[in-house]
This record gives sequence, structure tokens and C-alpha cells, in this order.
Amino acid sequence: MNNNVIVIGGGPAGLAAAGKLQDFGLDVVLVEKQPHIGGHLNKWYKVFPDFTDASEITANLTAGLGKTRILTNTNVTSIEGSAPNFLVTTSTGEKINASAILVSTGYKHFDATLKEEYGYGIYDNCITSVELDMMLKEKNVKTRDGKIPKKVAMIHCVGSRDEKVNNNYCSRVCCTNAIKVAIEVKEQNPDCQIFCLYMDIRVFGRGYEELYRTSQETHGIQFLRGRLSEASEKMDGSLLLRLEDTLTAKPMRLSVDLMVLMVGMEGNSELASVADLKLGCDRFYATAHQQYSNNHSHREGIFLGGAATGPKAIMESITDGRSAAAEIASFVAKNQRIINNGQVPSLV
Amino acid sequence: MTLFETVLGDSDNYFSIFNTAIIFIYMSKLVDELKQDIQYQHGMNACLNCGICTAVCPAAEVYDYSPREVMNICQTEDEEWLIDLLKSDKIWFCGQCYSCKPRCPRGNSTADVILALRRLSVRHGYFAESEKGRQQLFAKRVFGENMLKRGYTLTAENITPEHFPELGENWEYYFEHMKEMREWWDVPMDKENSAGSHRIIPEKDMDELRKIYKATGAMELMEAVEKGMEKKLGSKKEVEKFWDNWVETADSRNYEMKH
Repeated sequence: MNNNVIVIGGGPAGLAAAGKLQDFGLDVVLVEKQPHIGGHLNKWYKVFPDFTDASEITANLTAGLGKTRILTNTNVTSIEGSAPNFLVTTSTGEKINASAILVSTGYKHFDATLKEEYGYGIYDNCITSVELDMMLKEKNVKTRDGKIPKKVAMIHCVGSRDEKVNNNYCSRVCCTNAIKVAIEVKEQNPDCQIFCLYMDIRVFGRGYEELYRTSQETHGIQFLRGRLSEASEKMDGSLLLRLEDTLTAKPMRLSVDLMVLMVGMEGNSELASVADLKLGCDRFYATAHQQYSNNHSHREGIFLGGAATGPKAIMESITDGRSAAAEIASFVAKNQRIINNGQVPSLV
Repeated sequence: MTLFETVLGDSDNYFSIFNTAIIFIYMSKLVDELKQDIQYQHGMNACLNCGICTAVCPAAEVYDYSPREVMNICQTEDEEWLIDLLKSDKIWFCGQCYSCKPRCPRGNSTADVILALRRLSVRHGYFAESEKGRQQLFAKRVFGENMLKRGYTLTAENITPEHFPELGENWEYYFEHMKEMREWWDVPMDKENSAGSHRIIPEKDMDELRKIYKATGAMELMEAVEKGMEKKLGSKKEVEKFWDNWVETADSRNYEMKH
């Protein structure tokens, strides 16, 4: 066996894992399908709850990569052999030996056109949370015809907790992200009124609840408890939203200039057949055990990290990537010890 | 010690509020009966009270009606709330458009739950407690009896110009010349296996239909409507007065309820 570890996916989990793995003295090859490393971090402006610049996080993680060999614009096309002697082939035709593999391929955003009743791709002023972050980054939150919106609605749970799109799970980060962007829109356009349409506010992490409270106390963000049933476009391009304010039990109509769909996360299962990985019923990769083997896949020597195993915030992905790195380092060390002692490695 | 005794025995500790709830569930019959209804089983999973059904419901826009409220009451399994619901106008406002069903993120269908509630309300006579509920008598005597007699819910003869003045002169003319006009169109009245809603369905098929109505409990429900009205209004004679009043004025509110 060799000292090589292949990390597939260069988002926050993959970058964090690669950094730690090379600190452990392993030879790391990071395979990224996009032209740049950073993953979804490249799309975000600032990150909740403390408004850290996404670029600062990427820079920090990249600085820790050390001698890691980075292959961008590259996919893994096949994985042969078994632990600890894998042979990985990439889309460029390169063959790399590896004793362990980390799959940190993250997630993709829910395709909002599937919720046709919300009108994404049909109505001009219906955008996704990803598009809003780009507008915020350019300090240019405007309606399609270039006006500053006076009323903005953040629609929670789009593509999450919804049997109708086969996503029963909660994407976890959208609530806090909605609150973060609401504050940012308000800071950039102080005259703007902002409504968050939610079912439950799930702000679970350190500092998240405080952010929620601040958004109400300091920024006057309004929260309406009700799931959007449908939106329609008015002649002037503004949108008419139909919901029930369930806390006062009143069906209501709300006119807004801009509607932001907080799109949820979906599992990136591209490597399922290449790496022979199992999927959970949520279509994220299944782990060997949900409690105590959360970075192990069902295959020995192939590890999982970050949002590949379910929706995670940036900080959680970083932590999970490093946790996977510790699992891999111990796996490699154990196998080397076995070989040095002349024992046959166990497959269990 | 039975479950019941266990629960009562604990009633003075601080969990008594939960025990009370357990007693209700344990003793409840209506909720159990509701849960037996296959349409209820299909329509009710777990409701998270998101309000998407009420937001999209056309009836909720004009009436004091909220599909979410209906689901929530069913979900609490509170016997008293359920009885209040069954006695109220609310369960009769739903127009069965099923807009709620394709939207619910939990795959519930309030429109189906409503049908189960209506059956329960009729079976137990609660329907007669509300104005909208009492209109079941007209539904039974018009649609129900039409079905059993002719195999159709509504025939042109039911649409009297007095009840439907908004249909205007054309309808009045048609109503008076129905027989002749239908000859022109080649859909004659009362001809066996002819086209249209005024055809005669062969007795053999009608027999089958009546058997289905009996086997599915629809007959029983129709009888329950007559019985429930009689109980509420005091006598068969009073039920006929209620009926005549409606035939005459087309508005059930014109009958003065004694209690």
C-alpha cells in the first residue's frame, strides 16, 4: 500500500479534510470537477451567523492545503481494487493509486422550477437564494426592471420538507440563511419591508437564535407563519402571494416586489455507481452507522464527509471534513502497522 | 388493573392533564369511528399546520372555514371539539375542488377528510344542528332519490324556473317545452338507453346500482338524514313542513327553527 489519499470534491469539507490529511503526513490528491476549488463557497457572499466573507473561508482553507496536489476540471471515472489498494482513474485518463478515498462531493440546489405554482423561471421577480446572494455581493438588490424593491418575501422550505417534490427532509440551513439575507437586504435598502414565510424557524447552531432575535429587534424583519400556496404576477411585475397567517388563522394575500425562494439541498449522487456507494431514502450517501460511523461508507476505505451525507452549514462541513480526515489517518496508520507487522489486513 | 383504572388512579398527580387526554382518547368512540373510514385514513397523515390548504382554498376566502382548522381538530382527537365540528356549518362549506390535496407537503387531503366527517355527522344526527347540515335533506331527497329512481343525480325537471330565476327566459321556455325540444335534438325524454340525462336506465342496471348503494352504506346514510331531521324538528310532519318551505322558497333559512 501507499501513502496516498484521494479527496473527491473541493468544497469546504474536502478542503478542510485535505488540509488535515496532509498535516498527518499523507500524500493528498484533491479532485475537483469545477475550474476552481471552493465549491458552493464561491457562490456565497457572507456566511451566517457572523457574516464572515465566504472568500475568507476559502482563503483560510486553501492556505492549509500545503503540498496537496489539486486537479481541477477533473472527474473520477472509475475506482478499481479494494482497500487499501485502490486504483482511481480520472477523466483526464490519469491513474492514481490510493489507500483511502474521501467522497466530499456535497450537494446541489433544489430545482425551483419544479414548484411551478411559485413561478420561478416564469415570473421576473421570483429569484432563488443563490441569485440573491450574488445581488448582495454586487450591492445591487433590484427588481428585474431595475427598481429598488419596497417589499421582499423570503420563502422558506422551497424543496424541503415537501412530500410533493420527494424531499421529506429539512435542509437545515435555509432558515438561518433567510434571516441572514433579510438583514443584509435591509442594511443595503433600509426602506425595504421584509417578510419571512416560514413553517417552523429552525435556527439550531451557536449564534443562530441570537441572529434571529437581532433580525426582529434591530432590523424589523417580519415573520409570517404559513407556507406559500401560490404566487401570481401582477401587471406591474410585482407578485401576489397567497398564504395563511396560521398564528392568527387568517387567509391572506401579500403583494411584494421581489420574492426569494430559499432553495434546499439535494444529494449529489453522481459517484454512487462509480464508487459503489449506497444512498439513503433522502438520496444523500448512506453512512455505515448514523451515530458512530458517520464518516464511513459501506465500503472499507471509502469515507464520506460534508454535505454528501446530508444538509450541513459551512462550519459543520468543515468540522465533518476534519472528522473524516481523522478517520482516514487512523485507517491508513492501522493498515500500515498491520503490513509492518506482517499481518494480513482484516476486511471487516 | 386495567388501563382505565391506572389512568384514574393517577389523576391527582401533576400529570393529570395528560391523563385527562388519555381518558378522552380511551373512551372516545367518534374518533375511533372516524379512523375506521378509509377516506379518513387516506386523507389524514400528520398535519404540520402550515396553512397551505387554507391559503389555496376557495371556500376559506368567503366562508368561516379553514381546512387547516378541520385537520387540526381531527389531529387533536379531542372528542368535544370533534362534536362541535360535526354540529357546525363548517364541514359543509367545502366544495370538493381538491385544491388542498396537490399542495399539502405531508400528502394529506382535507377534501377526503371532510367527506368522512360528513358521513360521521349524518350517522350521528349532528348534521341537523347546523343550517348547512340540514340542507342534507334536500340533497338526499333530490340527488339521492334521483339516483335510486333514475340513476342520475339531477334531471332538467328539477331545475324549476322558480328556484333558478337567474337562468332567465330561455330556460323558462325550455322548461315548458322540454319534451318537444328534446325530440328536435334527438335526445328524447324517458326513452330506454337513449342519450342524455333524461334517458331511462334498464331496471336490471338500476337493481345493480341500488345494491351498490346498499352495500356501501349510502342507503343507510340517506335513512339517517330523514331520521336525524325528524329527531331535530320533532316529527315527520315538521320535516315535511321544512321540505315544503324549501320547495316553495328555495332557501332553508326561511324555516324558523324552534330550538
